[in-house]
Amino acid sequence: MKISFLIHNAYGIGGTITTTFNLARALADRHDVEIISALRHRERPNLNLDPRVRLRPLVDLRHEKNDPRHLTPAKIFPASEYRYHQYSALTDERIGEALASLDADVVVGTRPGLNVHLALQAPARTVRVGQEHLTLNNHPPRLRNALRRVYPRLDALTPVTEADAAAYRRKMRLPGVRVQALPNSVPAPALPPADGGERVVMAAGRLVPVKRFDLLIEAFAAVAAERPDWQLRIYGKGEEQERLRALIDRLGLYNSVFLMGAVTPMEAEWVKASIGAATSNFEPFGMTIVEAMRCGLPVVSTDCEYGPGEIIAPGEDGRLVPVGDRDALAGALLELVRDDELRRRMGRTALENSRRYAPGPVVAQAEELFEDLLAARRDGRPPAPGTDHALVSGGYAARDTALVAAGNVLRTVRKARR
Amino acid sequence: MSDDNSTNGGPVAKPRADATVDQEGRLVVRVRLPLPASAGPRLLLQLRPKKGQSEETGRVAALEHVGQDEWRAVLETAPALREGRWDAYVLGLPGEARTPLLPGLRDLRALVSGGGEGRRTPLAVRIPYATKDGRLAVRAWLRASHAEAGRIVFSGHGMTARARLFGARLGEGAAVLLHRRGKDAPVRQITPRADGERDLSFTVDYEDLLAEGGQPGAGAEQEIWDVYVRPASGEPRIRLARLLDDVADRKAVFVYPAATLGGMTVRPYYTVDNDLSVAVAPSPA
Repeated sequence: MKISFLIHNAYGIGGTITTTFNLARALADRHDVEIISALRHRERPNLNLDPRVRLRPLVDLRHEKNDPRHLTPAKIFPASEYRYHQYSALTDERIGEALASLDADVVVGTRPGLNVHLALQAPARTVRVGQEHLTLNNHPPRLRNALRRVYPRLDALTPVTEADAAAYRRKMRLPGVRVQALPNSVPAPALPPADGGERVVMAAGRLVPVKRFDLLIEAFAAVAAERPDWQLRIYGKGEEQERLRALIDRLGLYNSVFLMGAVTPMEAEWVKASIGAATSNFEPFGMTIVEAMRCGLPVVSTDCEYGPGEIIAPGEDGRLVPVGDRDALAGALLELVRDDELRRRMGRTALENSRRYAPGPVVAQAEELFEDLLAARRDGRPPAPGTDHALVSGGYAARDTALVAAGNVLRTVRKARR
Repeated sequence: MSDDNSTNGGPVAKPRADATVDQEGRLVVRVRLPLPASAGPRLLLQLRPKKGQSEETGRVAALEHVGQDEWRAVLETAPALREGRWDAYVLGLPGEARTPLLPGLRDLRALVSGGGEGRRTPLAVRIPYATKDGRLAVRAWLRASHAEAGRIVFSGHGMTARARLFGARLGEGAAVLLHRRGKDAPVRQITPRADGERDLSFTVDYEDLLAEGGQPGAGAEQEIWDVYVRPASGEPRIRLARLLDDVADRKAVFVYPAATLGGMTVRPYYTVDNDLSVAVAPSPA
């Protein structure tokens, strides 16, 4: 097969770029793969891309940032998309041209706005797959409605969790569109796994409020009080840095809790720990959970929408606690801190259970999906059996329309008050 | 390993080396070099010279062929590396005098709880790290005797710190000394509490550091007090430092709270060499 990925900016750093590069590399063993990057801001990608995968940038911000067309708002890329301000008449034009001249069998979009481009502009003969790395429930109502209008023109939609896939099936009218979860993949670590002996709890992620590292630090106070020989290491950088620093001082945890800064890859760090922690309020997937498990760590996580609950088998390879529940989090951490044998056993199980996120199995799912969709095209079948539930999904659409209207009223009221 | 090992796929301009260190500081460096098995590449560690000085002879170790394009060098614990930053290179690549190595995976797990009883003196510590400009280097410490800083707790107007001696024993006349940096600068002496022959704790009352401090307010500069332990009367002082784990650059990671008194802000911190000092600076207005 000839497969093209369409990505926001392949030259940056982030989970979507990592997982797209991993998938592209694995597919390149048997297929002709290219990545089309809507934007480019530097000479080389930050992350290593397999040389067999072609990289084709469309708008080079280094020369074209001030092009009048780039200063004109986009019309195809939806205004309700998170990254709308980074798109323009110029990206509309270049993405449109790239799709019109595409000779791929399968084209894969990697964010909602780019999926809209595929749905509207990919050649009729090309199979269109939209990936969803965020979640339907967390999209603003206006974006949900924009996607409702065009997603029926996709062949398949692939959220990263079963739970999000279920939400799409229930809340969107997508007759004939195959909705199938496709998780992110994490390559096997090159280092031997952690042995459960180190007295270190570890977490990683951008230091932003949704990750709730404040909750983790507060919960760790209970661990430090009982077992002062344990430490918590948090890797990452971001706007919360100073606030977290102040919290550590206020709780007197400067001998136990350390903000380590951003480190990539994390692999050599995970193996220094014996427990992983993830405390987000919201986590579409939970890449760090899988990374930690692949290094042999049991993971204690909040049971937030949606990833953690599908990655962790509670009691077997980790623990799930209610979102925002500091005491439950402290209790789950302490249980693993106190019991060396439990921690080691769960770590071994985590290593075993997380193999399903290896590129091999994930790529096999993607390959099978693409081949099915291609065969359906050839045979003139719809990509998925037509289960049209217009009545139910219509209700959700009406509600989102009402939410959008209510949002407009609120905004108007706020403006009037200013 | 099993299903996929190609985390760094593709050709790279410069070779990237993985490094492993065991608790005693034995360093193993692995690197992929597309050379025939008959080639004789070598690993060079070159001590970064102080400003204005020239390079001395570096430490060279043979790279042994251990598989197709796979090479490995082992740096035994003896002889120890001199204290400083050692940049890593490969010697013997075609057309290049020496090729800088890029940092790969650094497996330092053996160092995480490295403050154990069994450390011999002179104390030699080696921590491979990535330099700011993205090269592989090794941070080395070499100390005839050593005082390892431990937990520090704060009272609002002072701090109490624990320490453990390596290569020295506490005796009559033991003292903790705070030396202010600069010419003819004062020294403060504190009597520590001993817990056995090697473990001690001591309390610094920040008021004692302020008495000779700079004038609070306009233009006064920060003053630094370096902390030493003198194990017994007549013995040489030992710099208090924290060296026995995997953290090569401690300054931004081990951060302690500041206290404000008498218009001055006092904060203990680890220097770029992981030594413990106390900074006294005028509080921002």
